[in-house]
Amino acid sequence: MRRILAGIETEYGLLVEDRGAEDQIDDAMALVRGYPGECLALWDYRYESPRADLRGFQLERLAVDPIDMEFDKGRDHGKPVDVRSDRILPNGARFYNDHGHPEYSTPECFSLRELALHDVYGEHVVLEAARTFAQSSEREVKVFKNNTDFHGASYGTHENYLVPRSVGFERLYKAILPMLIVRQILTGAGKVGTESGDWCDFQLSQRADFFMESVNAETLFRRPIFNTRDECHADPGDWIRLHVISGDANMMPSCTMRKVGLVKLAIHLAEADQAPVWNLRNPVNSIQSISKDMNLEGRIELDGRSWTTAYEVLESYFAAAEATLDLDDELKAVILESRDLIELLKQGEWKQTRSKIDWAAKRNLLEDYLGSEGGSWKDTAIRAFDLEYHNIDREESLYYAIEEMGDVPSFAQWDEIDERSCGNPEGTRALARSIAVTKFKSHVHTACWRSITFKIEDRLVEVELKPDIIYPSHLRGAGDVETFIRMLRGQL
Amino acid sequence: MTDGDRLTKPLTPGTKKLGEDGGPSSPTIKRPEGGNELLKRMKKVDPDQAKKYRQRSGQ
Repeated sequence: MRRILAGIETEYGLLVEDRGAEDQIDDAMALVRGYPGECLALWDYRYESPRADLRGFQLERLAVDPIDMEFDKGRDHGKPVDVRSDRILPNGARFYNDHGHPEYSTPECFSLRELALHDVYGEHVVLEAARTFAQSSEREVKVFKNNTDFHGASYGTHENYLVPRSVGFERLYKAILPMLIVRQILTGAGKVGTESGDWCDFQLSQRADFFMESVNAETLFRRPIFNTRDECHADPGDWIRLHVISGDANMMPSCTMRKVGLVKLAIHLAEADQAPVWNLRNPVNSIQSISKDMNLEGRIELDGRSWTTAYEVLESYFAAAEATLDLDDELKAVILESRDLIELLKQGEWKQTRSKIDWAAKRNLLEDYLGSEGGSWKDTAIRAFDLEYHNIDREESLYYAIEEMGDVPSFAQWDEIDERSCGNPEGTRALARSIAVTKFKSHVHTACWRSITFKIEDRLVEVELKPDIIYPSHLRGAGDVETFIRMLRGQL
Repeated sequence: MTDGDRLTKPLTPGTKKLGEDGGPSSPTIKRPEGGNELLKRMKKVDPDQAKKYRQRSGQ
C-alpha cells in the first residue's frame, strides 16, 4: 500500500495583555521574529497558488472576513513578505505569521506517530517564541492550540495529504466528504456553546459552526467542509495536495493520529475506487447537527428521505478498507481503536472514552466542575476553562493537568519529542530540507515544500524534492554542497 | 520591520542542540496530584478570559 505523505499546519490563538485583535498581526509578527532557536528566513513563495481550484479554474479573489477588514482600517503592517515573517526550522518545518496567528507547519511525515510527535514539538517552538515575546514586550502572553475565540472568529488546523492527481476531484470528493463529517465524533476537540444557530451547552467540534458550504476553495470566510485549493507543493502533473480544513486542533496526540488516520483510510479507498457511497442530503447541516448532538446519536439525513448514523458511516469505511486494502499496522490500529470507542459511544458510555478523545476529556472536566462547584454552561468561567484546556503552557493548561494526573496516557517522553528539533527518522523530503538549512545554509538561496534553490558561486541551482521517496540518512555525509545536490538528484 | 540579513539565527550545526541557547527546552512543570490540584488550577483561571479573548479570523 502506498505511504501517504502528510503534514499538519496549526494556527495558534494569541492573547497578549492589553492588546486586541487589531494588534494581532503586529504581535504575531513580533512573536515569530523573536523565536530564539535556529532558523532561516528564506521561504520561496513562487509555487503558492491559493486561488487555484481543483475543479480546474482559478478564483478572482479570496473572500475576507469583513470584521477583519475593519481591524485593518488605517493600519499598514508593511510588505506582505515581512508580515508573514516565514522561518524554516532545522527540522524542515515552517513557522510564520498567518493572518495574525503564529502558525507551525510540521515537516512532512509518512507515519501517524511521527506526525503526532512533530505536532507536539511544534507546541514547544511556539511556546518558546511566546515566552521570548513576553519578555521583550513586557506583557503577559498566552497561546492556545484551539480554533475559536467564542465570538465568531475561527482559525484553522489544516491537514495536508499527498494524493495522485489521477484520482481526480469527483472520486476524491465523494470518498472524503462523508469521513470529514463523521470523524468528529472520534476526534473533535469539544466546545462550550455555539457560534452559529441555536444554543447548545457543549458540542463535539470547535470548527463545525463555521462551515457554510460543502465544497469551495475559500478558507477565511464562507468556509467549506471540503476545500478545493489546488496548491500541490509537488509536481502538479502527478500530485494534488488534499487540503483538509475542517478538523479541530487536538491536544491529545492519540486524537491527532486518529484524525489523520481516518482520512488516510478514505484516501486509500478513493485511490482503489472502493469507498462506500453515501448520498448526504445536506452535508453542512449534518456536520453541525452531529457536533451539537449531546445524545451522541450521530444521525445523518440521506437523499430519498432515509437516514443513517455517523457510526454506520465509519463502519462502512472500516469494512471496505479491511475487505479491499492491504492495511499497514498503524491503520489497522486506527480501525481497532475506533471500533472500541464507537461501541462505548453507542452505549452512552462516553465518559469511558475521556482518555482518548479530546471532547470527552473536556466535557468530563467541565461536568465534574459544574457538579462540584455549581453553575451553568452559560457561565463565562466555563468558556474560560474551555480555552484554558488548550493553553500550551504545561504549568497552566488544563489538558496538561489531566495528562500529568494520569487521566490521559502520556504519549512520549520529552527526549523523543525533542529529537524532532532536527531529526527525521523516516527520511521524508523534509530530511533533505533539514540538511540543507543546517549543513549547507550558506548556499541556500530559498526553499519551500517542493524544492530548494542553492546559490553556487553566481548560479542558482534549483533541486526538486520528490515527495514520494525515502531520502537516505547518508545524505548527511555529503562533504560539500555540490555533492549534496548530486546525491539529491540521484546521481551518486 | 524587515528581516534584513537572510540568516536570522546563526548556529553551527552539531555544536548545540535547540534549547541550549534559548530554543525549546525540556518543560519543567508542577505536577497536579489529583482532583483538588486540578480544581486549584481551574480556580487560577481568569473567569473572564474567554470573554476578553478576541481573535482575527484565520484560515
